[in-house]
Amino acid sequence: MEQEYVIEMLNITKRFPGIVANDNISLQLKKGEIHALLGENGAGKSTLMSVLFGLYPPEEGVIKKDGKEVKINNPNDANDLGIGMVHQHFKLVECFTVLENIILGVETTKGGILQKDDARKKVMELSDKYGLAIDPDALISDITVGMQQRTEILKMLYRDNEILIFDEPTAVLTPQEIKELMQIMKNLAAEGKSILFISHKLAEIMEVADRCSVLRKGKYIGTVNTSETTMEKLSAMMVGRDVNFHVEKAPAKPADVVLSVENMTVASKSHKKNAVNNVSLNVHAGEIVCIAGIDGNGQSEFVYGLTGLEPLASGKLVLNGKDITHDSIRKRNVEGIGHIPEDRHKHGLVLDYSLEDNLILQNYFEERFVNKFGFLKRKNIRDYANKLIEGYDVRSGQGPITRVGSMSGGNQQKAIIAREIERDPSLLIAVQPTRGLDVGAIEFVHKQLVAERDAGKGVLLVSLELDEVLDVSDRILVMYEGEIVGEFDPKTVTEDELGLYMSGAKRDEVTVK
Amino acid sequence: MTILIQYTLVYASILSLVALGGCFSEHSGVINLGLEGTMVIGALGGALTMNAIEGSLPGLMVVLIALISAALSGLVYTMLLAVAAIHFNADQTLVGTAMNMLGVAFATVVVKAINLSHDSSNVSAAVKYRTAQSYFVIKIGSMRLSWFMIIAFAAVIISFVVLYKTKFGLRLMACGEHPQAADSVGINVYKMRWAGVLISGVLGGLGGLTYIAINNGECEFNTGVCGYGFLALAVMIFGKWKPQNIFLASLLFGFFRALSSVYMGIGWLNNMHIPNAVYIMLPYIISLIVLALTSKNSAAPKAEGIPYDKGAR
Amino acid sequence: MKKILKNDGFQSFVASIICILIGLLVGFIALLIIEPSGAVDGMLAIIKNFMGYSSDVARTKYFANTLVYTAPLLMCSLSILFSYKVGMFNIGAAGQYVVGVAAAIYAALILHWSWFPCMVLAALAGVVWAVIVGLLKAYCNVNEVISGIMLNWIGLYITNIVLGAAKMPSSPYTYSLAKYADTAVIPNIGLDKMFKSPYAGLALPLAILFAIVIWVILDKTKLGYELKATGCNKNAAKYAGMAEKKNIVLTLAISGGLAGLGGAFLYLTDITQWFLGANSVPDMGFNGIAAAFLGGLNPIGTIFASYFLEHIMQGGSHLDLTTYCPEVSDMISAIIIYLCGFVGFMKYVMNKRRDTKKGGEE
Repeated sequence: MEQEYVIEMLNITKRFPGIVANDNISLQLKKGEIHALLGENGAGKSTLMSVLFGLYPPEEGVIKKDGKEVKINNPNDANDLGIGMVHQHFKLVECFTVLENIILGVETTKGGILQKDDARKKVMELSDKYGLAIDPDALISDITVGMQQRTEILKMLYRDNEILIFDEPTAVLTPQEIKELMQIMKNLAAEGKSILFISHKLAEIMEVADRCSVLRKGKYIGTVNTSETTMEKLSAMMVGRDVNFHVEKAPAKPADVVLSVENMTVASKSHKKNAVNNVSLNVHAGEIVCIAGIDGNGQSEFVYGLTGLEPLASGKLVLNGKDITHDSIRKRNVEGIGHIPEDRHKHGLVLDYSLEDNLILQNYFEERFVNKFGFLKRKNIRDYANKLIEGYDVRSGQGPITRVGSMSGGNQQKAIIAREIERDPSLLIAVQPTRGLDVGAIEFVHKQLVAERDAGKGVLLVSLELDEVLDVSDRILVMYEGEIVGEFDPKTVTEDELGLYMSGAKRDEVTVK
Repeated sequence: MTILIQYTLVYASILSLVALGGCFSEHSGVINLGLEGTMVIGALGGALTMNAIEGSLPGLMVVLIALISAALSGLVYTMLLAVAAIHFNADQTLVGTAMNMLGVAFATVVVKAINLSHDSSNVSAAVKYRTAQSYFVIKIGSMRLSWFMIIAFAAVIISFVVLYKTKFGLRLMACGEHPQAADSVGINVYKMRWAGVLISGVLGGLGGLTYIAINNGECEFNTGVCGYGFLALAVMIFGKWKPQNIFLASLLFGFFRALSSVYMGIGWLNNMHIPNAVYIMLPYIISLIVLALTSKNSAAPKAEGIPYDKGAR
Repeated sequence: MKKILKNDGFQSFVASIICILIGLLVGFIALLIIEPSGAVDGMLAIIKNFMGYSSDVARTKYFANTLVYTAPLLMCSLSILFSYKVGMFNIGAAGQYVVGVAAAIYAALILHWSWFPCMVLAALAGVVWAVIVGLLKAYCNVNEVISGIMLNWIGLYITNIVLGAAKMPSSPYTYSLAKYADTAVIPNIGLDKMFKSPYAGLALPLAILFAIVIWVILDKTKLGYELKATGCNKNAAKYAGMAEKKNIVLTLAISGGLAGLGGAFLYLTDITQWFLGANSVPDMGFNGIAAAFLGGLNPIGTIFASYFLEHIMQGGSHLDLTTYCPEVSDMISAIIIYLCGFVGFMKYVMNKRRDTKKGGEE
């Protein structure tokens, strides 16, 4: 008898020190279907897929392939069962070519020497068949994110995988690229491949998936046919309550210019073109300006240039009427720049330091924390930390002396936000401030940004999430290949319109306001 | 002039062997700062073997057995690094340093124990192997070349082929660049790192044997190998972790080292009356300069020195 | 009780003891293999060191000598500890120590300076040597371990050249300070009488003072806060406006000064003279690594660790030298450093055991 399900994961439990990432979860995948797995950050989606892919062994539960129980102890086992995965963070070796990455692990050799010709032929055939354009001899470090993703998909197809897992595949793509990907997924399903599609984006799920299973805080909530449900119902299943994704805010009242950027250029570290090329813009007091764009189009370097982490090749920066172009990082911070960095572990926190020591990271040198002999005033530091912890509801195991590395991502982010806002900067730069946070924490962050705006600060938000861009900002600037290519009013622009600018298909001359 | 070339080749052989060792280890993702100690132990294994078997076997056999024992000694010794770095997430700099100190101390203890057991007043740390060493020499005209040069040159070519043309090389480098990627396609990162470290032990051991073969048929083990393990790392960095470049870099470093051995025979150099110590310092100074000029944009494997933890989320 | 087990300092202590015990065990096995009949006596000789002497006078004298050698070792270990806290492995301490020796002896014998300026010059020499490493790291991205090693060798040969001027005609050593430059000898402050050794003096108290100062700097001051932040996460330090490059150079300068002073602390006691035929870098700087890690990377801990290591090392010279060689002590020391690489794992096991125990109670 033909089995209805190609893969069944039954009663899977997986624990990590301190948390139960998957608590008795079951998932059944039909042949030829696109099955979405929906849940917030931290709901356990990635863990469940890692279990299926053999990266972590589950503590409890069984996995069945075509009705027969199987043990998947490592990715090789998964591969032998025809399971392939496109990871959220691509697993590609940057200094290898596309072809080398595809064959890695399943190389063919002759007399011990690698044979690439047959592999190249097969890759090109697959590339043609599914419309996955790649250059097999290009280095991964030289190609676009989209082509890197296609390389990952070809990696699965090259291994003749029948069950394809896509872990948050759209996060790095433009709306147009997302449409292409959706089409590719539909083609694959039509060819009989079964697809697991992990996402927290409801619209995409409604568009492409046949069925959808929902996880919440490590628990299984239910499975529904997408044709029989609505986005609102899915959202309630995902979050556990009705949420208002829309950010409540009054119309902006832009006042004087806080930050003026004139013809800023930042050289690139990886290629010869400039990472930021001749960018000019103003941020006014009382408005949230959002830089939208696909990851890697110069937004990070633009912020590094503003904050002083990278030198400018040319251009001028004026903060509150003062030229800060040649000021040090410290001086800019003191002059009124608050910076919620893109990567909280890399830049934002000293993970081995306590919470209180992290909360004074930007002002430890002030007189209230250091006496004239250079000794730290521990009591003042503790009082200040307690004030921030209370005011911003930063939760941790041992209060101010908790090692920050042991705190949850959301609370780490709250600590950074507390630190930066409490310094009362006139310009707050927030780079992807909600990355990896759950809905509750996202709401908190958005409210803080709006409150800062209403308090008369200039807010510069850099975001990759279009929902966030449209919801939070008062003015949108799109960055493409290091240049500002369009300016929009979030109330009138559509996602598709933004996508065209983000992918470089359209561009306007933008005048500085 | 021939003698300058001869010495350059000798020193280049030492440096390229050891640098290739470092190259394999780093391509797998483990920094082997213990190459200095590995050289000492390889030299110890080789010297003791030569001392024991010289005269009793045909020359070619002695050569072969000495090489094998040096390689094996190095291999066994680097297991110390492999265990600590791959399975216990130890600080690789610390472990490498300990291995360098242990290498010299262990070799001294062993050699002195042997010497004392023969003659309780003999407190030297020297091993003699004069006859055996002569087996390694190949005379071409007035040049006295040695087996080591052939081995070093072969090692360069083999390393190039292994790293860039085989499945093993592809997988090894994947582990040094992006171990998570390697793991996700079913490559056992721990195994590959063991392989990388052990190969560095074999090459480091051979390099150590080559090093003591420049002496006059006798080696004092309490002074170690004078920083050659580290010079080799400088050669590796200068060679951008690529066997073909390492070969050229080792010729350059070898040349400067050779100068100090032969400058007295070169009229105008000798007439400049530069103290001998300056010539001896030359390779170290050159390597500092070279490092200063080439380290800005490092071509080092991205994941080197970072312990791989499969369970990490 | 649980609180003690959880305490990081206590765990470091336990881990250090484990390292020492295994190190001694390996040393013992080595003695057993070389000559089983004398192994127990040999091991006792190492462990007892000066306590093996029967007369009180000899005991205090050799105790004092061990203390004299402890001072430079402590300085070297502080040097390594300080830069390690800021994320750098200053293996160049060995060379900074050597140039410190060169400067101290040169100032004493050739320039006829008194002890204090000799010390200052030694510290400055160490600073210069370390700053080269710092500049290369900060501005050229050169790995401090490799540049440090190169500078160790360069420092050794330069020392041999420089001190050639202070060489005795009949032996390969430099002149004795007590005879030819007695103002350069570090004051005894009465300790020579107390310990019945002419070499005991101000050096060790000063070294201990430095340990305390380093502890205060690292733990209590703004400078320590900044430097440790740089060591833990240099990107975050840069983000917070700390001058990363300046901090790298400053840290190494302090480190180098400590190691250079260490050189002065030994040779200005006149307990030993520089051997001009030296063709390997003195172990003092490398043993400093052992002391720093064995002391749990705590300045106060290194005081005890330095003494312990020096005790074992001096003990090595009390072995029966017709059967064993004193380098067994070096081997023990090297093994202890190696085992220090496992301290992180040992702590992990200790924490895990505690956690599972707690789990069992609930």
